[in-house]
Amino acid sequence: MSGQPSVLEKVFAFVDERIGLKTLQAKMLNEPVPGGSRWAYVFGSCLLFIFIMQAVTGILLMFYYVPSADHAYASTQYILHEVDYGWFILSYHFWGSSAMVVMVFAHMSQVFLWGAYKKPRELVWLIGLALFGLVMAFGFTGYLLPWDQRAYWATTVGVEIMDKTPVVGDFIARFLKGGPTPGQMTLSRFFVIHVMILPAALMGLAGLHLFLFRKAGPAGPFRGSADELRARTDYFFPRQVWKDVVAMGAVFVTICSLAFIEPVVLLEEATPDPGDYHPEPEWYFLFLFQMLRLKIFSGELGQFVAGVAIPNAFLLLLAALPFIDRSPERNIFKRPIALIGWLLVMTGILVFTVSAIINREFLD
Amino acid sequence: MSSVKLGLAVAWPAFWTGVPIKIVLILLLLAMGVHPWEMPGLALLLLLSIPVDIWALGLSARTVFLDRLHLEPPESAGVTLWWQAALLSAVYLPIAYGIESGVVGVAKAVVGRMFEIEVLKNVPVPERISIELVLWGSVATVVLLGLALGWLFLFGQIVRKQVAAARPTAEPYEALVRRWDLLRVPADQPLLLTAFTATGVVLVFLFWAVMPVTTPHPHELYQKEPPKIESFKPAEALQRTEKLIAQAESAVKALEAKAKQGAKGKAPQAKGAKQPSAKVGAQEGGGRTR
Repeated sequence: MSGQPSVLEKVFAFVDERIGLKTLQAKMLNEPVPGGSRWAYVFGSCLLFIFIMQAVTGILLMFYYVPSADHAYASTQYILHEVDYGWFILSYHFWGSSAMVVMVFAHMSQVFLWGAYKKPRELVWLIGLALFGLVMAFGFTGYLLPWDQRAYWATTVGVEIMDKTPVVGDFIARFLKGGPTPGQMTLSRFFVIHVMILPAALMGLAGLHLFLFRKAGPAGPFRGSADELRARTDYFFPRQVWKDVVAMGAVFVTICSLAFIEPVVLLEEATPDPGDYHPEPEWYFLFLFQMLRLKIFSGELGQFVAGVAIPNAFLLLLAALPFIDRSPERNIFKRPIALIGWLLVMTGILVFTVSAIINREFLD
Repeated sequence: MSSVKLGLAVAWPAFWTGVPIKIVLILLLLAMGVHPWEMPGLALLLLLSIPVDIWALGLSARTVFLDRLHLEPPESAGVTLWWQAALLSAVYLPIAYGIESGVVGVAKAVVGRMFEIEVLKNVPVPERISIELVLWGSVATVVLLGLALGWLFLFGQIVRKQVAAARPTAEPYEALVRRWDLLRVPADQPLLLTAFTATGVVLVFLFWAVMPVTTPHPHELYQKEPPKIESFKPAEALQRTEKLIAQAESAVKALEAKAKQGAKGKAPQAKGAKQPSAKVGAQEGGGRTR
């Protein structure tokens, strides 16, 4: 009796015979991790997890949300006040988007500091940059959907910044707004971009990112001799899987806690009159917004430099990084320019973000 | 290994080992409507954190002893390190908090006065905010780092006492690595997965059971009309309907009786009455059907 395969084993064998489950399982779980598992490698898995949760909560919200200028605000209020657990699902989705931005920064920082963008992983880095852009676009388009004053004016500010881009800026701004001021067309376009175009693009690029990553293999730690790394090399399962699962659980619980601590509370319904409200973008664009307030960047040219030229030049520099930095040295403590550059950028973002918050209090 | 490094080697992983469990506790408290940063939630959280910290400190210390120092870890490393660290923190952290707050206060005041100088008075507000932040923030960060290093040094001294009492291990390095590795990932994977899943399921049920269904932060302008719920009692409704039918029946009977009486009285009169013309009747009928 004990020698007979169970029903589950029979089902597994049936599927395995047809699609090669065992081979797939072996490929997925038995990937060698040079130098062994590390907590520093969990960010990519966490990003994937957050995206899946955003998709799930987003679908649940779409059951009730009405993407029209007449009903968007009311339907969001309905979700918050009438739908069972609606307030929690919406708050989770809201904080999940912020968590995605934080995690993408953490993931990119880890890859940068570990020198994992270098040959042969240039394409993984480039696709990762494109994914970073998609994550920011997700946040930007999703912010408008509740259709309250905060949403309306954050979008207005964001579109105005885009408008400063030479040649294509005017077209992008007109395309996104669909009229002289944000209205029904803007909401429809943002909704379609948020729930159809961006998810499809993200799934495609994330798949490509993972494929390229598996093709090139993990970079491993930047310290240690080849022998030491070989001695500590381990398979993806179970140690790295375990670390990933714990990190995902911690991220999930943190987002849930934030949803409780600071749940979504809408402002007044969107109107073209800001009233007492001081328009500002989402927190992850605040540093850019604060830069635009500086006197040095006043005037048309200054606004273009701070709002468009500097961010785009920085992104171009990041894209060109694997081709400029061709040294095989990966140890961050032996790459002083990279280390100082990273510290300066992070400190700059932090200082301008906090300054924007202080400035908000000053204006209020 | 210096005391700061030793302290960091134990405290840093111990902190992160405890974090996931503590976040779960915080979430459950929040779901129950208890704020973990206010009394009594804070006291409850600190109380619940004690076993977590003892376990996390013991785990990290045993790993450091085996992997980095090649020493046999003391049996009660977790408990000993916990109470000594708790005592140290109870004295050190309030002092550190006082120093940091004092330094931030003085730094902010000094920087504020700097901008009262004539040359700097006209600096625009956004620039002033960022410059002030960088100036007092740098001082605060340096002092905070110094205080953190001070705590790590003192905690390292506590760990050092345990190191002095520990005996060297005779096991080869591979065996030591295997021992500390098994502290983290048990050999029995299905058992671990089952335990993890079961805990997750229990926590999920607990979470959804205690979580409020409607928002605890309703919008001040959101007009929520109280639902008008009318209780439905089938027996009463049936009686009401039967009464209504009986009333209707008697009304119909009364109308029929009246019609019969009317017909009897009108029949002799009809002979002498003038008949309406067919043309008018046709016009009236056409008007009704239009």
